[in-house]
Parts: sequence; structure tokens; C-alpha cells
Amino acid sequence: MLEEVQASVVAMRGVAGFSVLRTEAPGSAIGVHGGIQDDVVLDKVLTRMRMQPTGAFGGKLVIVCTKLEREWRIARLSGIRGVPPTFADDRVFTGEQDAQAAILEMRFDQYPAEDGMPEHCTPAWKSRGENWGA
Amino acid sequence: MTYPTMLRLTGYGDKWSVEQGDTVDFHVSCDGPATYRAEMVKLVHGDTHPGGPGFKEVAVASAADGTYPGRAQAIHAGSHAIVADRRPLRVDGFTLQCWIWPTMPTKVDGYWSPGPQTIMGKWAEGLGYGLFLEEDGRVSLRVDGQTLTAADPVRDRAWHFVAATYDAATGKAVLHHEPQIRYALDPVPEPVMATFGPPTHTEVPFTFAAHPGSVRPDPASLEPGGWLMTDHYNGKIDAARLCSRPFTRLEIETMKLGAAPGMDERRSIGPSADLGAAVIASWDFGVDVPTRRIVDRGPYRLDGDLVGAPARGMTGHNWSGAHTQWTAAPHEYGAIHFHDDDVDDARWQVDFTVRVPEDLPSAVYAMKLTTTDGDEDYVPFIVRPPLGTRQAKIAVVMSTIDYMAYANEHQASNFGSLEALVYRTPIMAPANVFLSVHREYGHSMYDTHCDGSGVHVSSRLRPVLNFRPKCDSVITQAPWQFNADLHLIDWLTEMGYEFDVITDEDVSYDGLERIEGYNVLLTGSHPEHKDGPYLDAIHAYKERGGRLMYLGGDGFYWRHTFHPGYGRGELTEMRRCESGIRPWQAQPGEYHHQSDGRLGGMWRFLGRDMAAVSGTSMVAQGFDVSTYFKRTPESLDPRVAWAFDGIDYDERLGDFGLVGGGAAGAELDHVDTTLGSPPHTMLVATSAGLHTDAYLTVTELILTNAPGFTGTQHPRIRADMAFHETPNGGGVWSFSSISYCGSLSHNSYDNNISKLTANVLDHFAVDGPLPRPDPAEVRPRGRFDSTPALNYHLPEDTPP
Repeated sequence: MLEEVQASVVAMRGVAGFSVLRTEAPGSAIGVHGGIQDDVVLDKVLTRMRMQPTGAFGGKLVIVCTKLEREWRIARLSGIRGVPPTFADDRVFTGEQDAQAAILEMRFDQYPAEDGMPEHCTPAWKSRGENWGA
Repeated sequence: MTYPTMLRLTGYGDKWSVEQGDTVDFHVSCDGPATYRAEMVKLVHGDTHPGGPGFKEVAVASAADGTYPGRAQAIHAGSHAIVADRRPLRVDGFTLQCWIWPTMPTKVDGYWSPGPQTIMGKWAEGLGYGLFLEEDGRVSLRVDGQTLTAADPVRDRAWHFVAATYDAATGKAVLHHEPQIRYALDPVPEPVMATFGPPTHTEVPFTFAAHPGSVRPDPASLEPGGWLMTDHYNGKIDAARLCSRPFTRLEIETMKLGAAPGMDERRSIGPSADLGAAVIASWDFGVDVPTRRIVDRGPYRLDGDLVGAPARGMTGHNWSGAHTQWTAAPHEYGAIHFHDDDVDDARWQVDFTVRVPEDLPSAVYAMKLTTTDGDEDYVPFIVRPPLGTRQAKIAVVMSTIDYMAYANEHQASNFGSLEALVYRTPIMAPANVFLSVHREYGHSMYDTHCDGSGVHVSSRLRPVLNFRPKCDSVITQAPWQFNADLHLIDWLTEMGYEFDVITDEDVSYDGLERIEGYNVLLTGSHPEHKDGPYLDAIHAYKERGGRLMYLGGDGFYWRHTFHPGYGRGELTEMRRCESGIRPWQAQPGEYHHQSDGRLGGMWRFLGRDMAAVSGTSMVAQGFDVSTYFKRTPESLDPRVAWAFDGIDYDERLGDFGLVGGGAAGAELDHVDTTLGSPPHTMLVATSAGLHTDAYLTVTELILTNAPGFTGTQHPRIRADMAFHETPNGGGVWSFSSISYCGSLSHNSYDNNISKLTANVLDHFAVDGPLPRPDPAEVRPRGRFDSTPALNYHLPEDTPP
């Protein structure tokens, strides 16, 4: 999975946007293929992780641009209004897409292998969170 | 990096659109540096992506250019009501009662606005009287520094009746807290009692939803009355009463009926003669909803002022569901919903004023603010010609209502599922991080308030950190709204076109006169949020031979109104009802605007299909990457073939760009003659079949949830480029994609998107009506002509 995401990082380098897909040429968003369109499990794993609320499992990972168009870092959301994200580590990325793959790797450690099954039920299941606006 | 100090220099102008010869006041906060420099610039291109032409500004000499003393200015967020101090409010004994619907009884550690919450009273610095929610979520009565607290906390989002009495003779204080709904395992509510000394009276006003931080106003503050408020309340307050003696529980119950003015022989001023004699104030928040006033039906006329634009037209404790419109049953809409993060006006001091010369060309400008320490900010404004004049044949209509709708959006820090929506981890800019801490800068209409309720009003009288150049959105990882619209400004500039720049605010307020006479109007990339007068003016313009180029996607979607209690274009309202793509949904019974009482929501469901305005209508959105258009056979038709001069039939149109890497992306519109596209619409190019699964059908088109609504599966997920003629030689060209303008600059502006856009613009910009189509094209057309297999075609087309 990680390899496929890393390949998409390379394919999308220079694109003002990102998806876990390969493209017809590096730096182009055109001719998407592979990635989540071929690997159903990868698509499901990514979506499941991406649906997590801001404060889940110690704080959801997010990218912060620290120098315009030059530097990016990984941070953790607090889930609390008024508490800023905090940097997750010291790494500084010089490519806009690079942190996408790094975050997936970190999430394999951050998130449990299984979640959302009956045995994981908690009182929090009884009321919606901030992900469900209605 | 310390986040809260990341943004030390910012500001706002009191106008976003300014007429030549008029002035703009600038309000600046410079938190740290002793001075800052202000210089006027013309903004041309705001996208800093290395794949594009880069940031472009042009210095414009201004009398306001100069170095100014820096000073920090704070925003005092939080809505509340103020009733000026008057003798009747200085009670000895009293009964204070109301209904409350608290939305945040307790707060988590770290919350940006901690502390207890004020329901109502005349209290500051431990002096006076009032009802509060203490930090543990229990209602309390405070008399000076003495506090009587209810036994149990309130339930969030549930109505509670609250009453407190104080007997000046005996010192006996009683507090009642009674939930309207009591579940099987809830404790039985019991009143609590104490003996207190009398309240001390000060000059502070009687207030709702916050109290003054000091017993004396701050004469330097521009807050109303100079009162700096604190301990803001989140939630609704309804049917508030203040009476001059302690009531029994039965009298309290009777007093729920409130004052009954307006008769002499038939009844008393109150619900009974005895109670009527004790009424000091009986506020009715269901009256004068579209104003900034609260009305007292009691004998003293203790009316008050609202600050912060709280939510009105809100269902009260007695809402029956029989009416869903506050104008139909105002007595059931007696609630105001206050929020600690409401902002109607930052109320900063003016730092400098720019007088716009009468000969300054219409364009997009900004005051560029810098310090010698490297701080930088831009405060944009748009200069328009005087009403009734035009200085070019072409006008760009910038989308200020949309910029307000998205103002200071917090999606990346508030909504974890944004990441699923955009199919990648979002990238926050320093401004997003700043806003995640500084909630007093207010939210966007894409956010919920801190108590989870939807944000349905937005003010531009505050720093709006995404109404800026050099700004990418977390949604697209590229410019969005204002900065994306600069892609178009840049292209027009580089291509040598002469054009005026106006705003949707101007069209809304000035009507047809603002746009009449232009040969062609160009929208921005995402004109989604519009009010009725704007649509009326555009409709009239098109019918009188005007030409419209719709250079975006998802246009004309939500209904807006400008709040009549504020100045031109200062505060806009929008309600998200039962359909449309909604990050939140209004509560039942709260779909009607407080600004005018009419139903809000999508224009489509008010009878104004999006495609009736622009020829195409929103069908899907996705925010990972974009794609390109392919021409259709209809593009060869003489009615539209002129647009493709110099473009081969098989060319991929826009397989490049600064928004998602393609001209078809982000939000997509399609042709649908059953949803407002005129039946003679030509569908000339489309991106069908080229989108990723991040692209999803809009919710309003999914009547039954079923598989197959994603980009690789659904045939309607596509951007359709379209053309149709309008009466008297007018026409509409729909480019139908938010990302379209991001492709204009590719290859130094020499590309097929640039060529196509220029062909259309040149055709539309000619004087006089457009050439008439072949007379054979004039014939009856049914809306379902294109789908003859359906049994919907016109009777005259039925085969014999």
C-alpha cells in the first residue's frame, strides 16, 4: 500500500492537487490509473482513516505549510476549538505531496488494525460527532 | 514557531467594493512591531504555485502610502443584547424568569472561551443580579458576590424553564430550574433557596448572553456603549421577564404569559392585575426579527440593542411545528440563539483612510501591509466605476458574497472528514492555524459555531484571511474564490483586454443599471452564493441582449439576503435547509431568513434553477485532481463553431492547470434541460468519464441512496461546456468548472483554454446584438426532446 501511495506522490509532484493515483506522466494529473482505482483494499483503508474525527487516536494528522510553496510539516489536530495543531515530529518536507505518504506510514502505527466493530462500541457511539453535520 | 503569533499584522477595509472618488477606511492590527508600512498595489495574479506565472502586483502611488504606528487591536466576539441602565432596572426585590436552550453547558479544557455563561441580568464585577450557567453546567442566581446554584446541570439542546426570586425584605432567594422534558431516569427538579444581602446597583446595562467585564465602560472602545463583554452564553433565550417583587411559583407560572399591552378596559398590562402591577420588562424576541433591536412589551419600553448578529427567527420553547416560518407564528419564534463566536463587526479603530482617485482605473487593488520584521498582509478592495457609467465593454463581476460565505473557513481544523471529502490529507496554511486558535475572528458559512450550530450569517467587517492573494484553500490545495478569480484577472490583463471590475454586491444593490451597457459580463470561478436582486438583474441583462460568460462551477446555488440592519453589503445571511451539499443543516422550523422572513436554501427549490441563470447546473464535486474537456459533435454546429477557431476537434481541452492539474475539476456543472438549461442549449464539450471516484454526485440529485454515484461510475459526473442564445442578440457561455480559470495561463497563455476563452470573449464583446442563427434553428423544442425514449415529449412531436 505504502509503495502505491509513494508512487502517486512521485506522479503528482508539481500538480496543485493530489490523489493516490498514477498519471500518464510525472507532474500531470491526466490519465489517472492504478492506485485506489485498482487496489480496492487500499481505497477502503485510506477512506476509513480519512473519516476519523479530528481528535481520534491522539489527534488526526494534517499537513501544515510552514513556508509558502517551499516547506511543509506534519502536525496533529487537537480536536478542541482554540487549541492549535502541534507538530508531530521534526521532519520538514520540501515537496508539497511528500507528507501524504509519510502520514499513511504514521497512521499504520497510530490506528488500530480493527475499529468500528461491535466489540469496539463505546458511549461515544450514541451521539454524532463533528463529522456528521446534520 | 508559536502559532498564535504567526499572524501579527492584519486588517480590513470598511468596503470591499468602492466607487471611484469614494473613500475606504482601513482598520489594522499590528501586534508587536512599532510601525508598519502601507502601500497601494494593483493585484493581478495571486497564485504562488511554481507551475504558474507567479505572484503579480503593480505598485500604485497613493496618498495613503506611508508608515503608520502599530497597535494591537482585538476582536470582541460573542453576541449579546444590551438594555441601557435605567431606574426601573435597579430593582430591590425581583423575579427573573426565562426559557433557555443551552448548547454548550460545559466546556472542554483548552476551549478558546472558557468560563461561566451569562443568561441575563445586570451584573458586573460581583455587583448586581443575574442568572448564569456556572462552569459545571448548573444554572445559578447571583446577587452581588453571592451565588445560589441549582441542584442539577442543564441538558444541552433541551428547553429549561429558569426562574429566580429575591425578597428584599427577608433576603430570601429562590431558584427554579425545570427541564421541559423529563426522561424516566431524570431527577425530580426541586427549587433551591438561600438568604442573601441585597444587590448593589451600578451603571452597567441589563444584558443577555454576556455581562460587562467592568462596572464602568471603556471610553476608548468602539464596542456599543464602551462595554467590553465577557462570559458569553451559547444557546437560546426565550420569553425573558423581569418583575419587581418575588413571585410565588404559581405567579411565576402565570407570568410565563408575559405582558399584555394594547388594551385598557378589557385587561391589565400583565396576565393578571396583581402581576401586571409588578411587570418591569417582558421581552419578546419574536418581534422586529430583521433588526438589531430587542423589544420590551412591558410598560417601561426597555428595548435593547443586539450586538454580534445572533441567530433570530429561532423556534421558541413553545414551537408547535404547525408553522415553519417565523412570520406566520411570531409568538412561537420568541428565541434568540446567541453564540460566543458571533462577529458582526470587529469594531477596530481606523488606522488610515484611502481616497480613491476618480481617475483610478477600475481593477482589483489592495493595501499591502508590511513590517521590517517580515510581516506581510494584503487587504483587498475592488474599485468600480460610478453607477450609470462604464469604462470598458467588458466587466468582471467579482463574487464578494461568496468571499463572505467562505470567510475564515475552519474546515481543516473543525471537520475531520474533510480529508475524506478531498481524498487526500489537507494542507493548512499559517492563517488556518491562526484561525483554529483565534476563534474571535469568526467563522464561515461552511463552519459550525463552536456549539455545533450552523453559521448562517457572515460579516465582512473583520479581517478575512482567505480574501487574500497568495492564499491556497484546504479544499483544492490551490487558490479558491478571490485568489482563484485573480487567475481570470491575470489572463484578461496579460491578453490586453480593457475591462471594468465590479462586484455582485454592486449588482445586488444597484440592479440592472450597474451592468446595463456592458457588452459582456464575466463571472468568477465559483459564483455560488447570490441574492435575489442580483439574479433579477442578470436575468434582465440577458433578456435585453447582454452576454454572460460563466467562468466557473457551482454557480447560483444558495439563496442569500443582506441583513437590512447593516450597511451596504456588510452582513449576508444564508440558511442550509433540506437539500444541497451542506456542512450543516438548519434546525427544523428555522429555514426562513431572519433578514426577510422568506424561505432560504437552494435557489433551485425556490423555483430558480441554477441552469436558468448560467445554462448549466451543479452536478458533482471532487477535490483531488481535475481533468480535461473533449469536444462533442455539437461543437461543429455553426451556432458555436466560431468558438473553436484554431482548435482541433480532437484536442484535449485543458489537460493542464493550476487547480487540480486540469480545466475540468473541483465542482462541475452539466446541461440538464429539465433543470433549467434552455432547450436550445448546445453541449459543446464535456469531461464525462474522465473523473476520479473523489467526484460524487450532489446530494440533491440522489433521491434514493444506492451505489454508483461516483466519478468512475456515474454518467452524469461531468462538466459540460455549453452555449445558448438569449433574446435580442444575447448569449450565455458556460465553462462549468471551478478549476477552469486555473488553466488560462498555461504555456505563457498560449493554450487551447486561453484560445477558446478569447474566441468566446471576442465574439461576445462586439457592439450590437450577436449574429442571428439560421432561421431553421427557430422551432419548438420540448425539454425532453433529447431523450425521446421517455414519454415526456411534446404532443406535437408524437409520431402518428
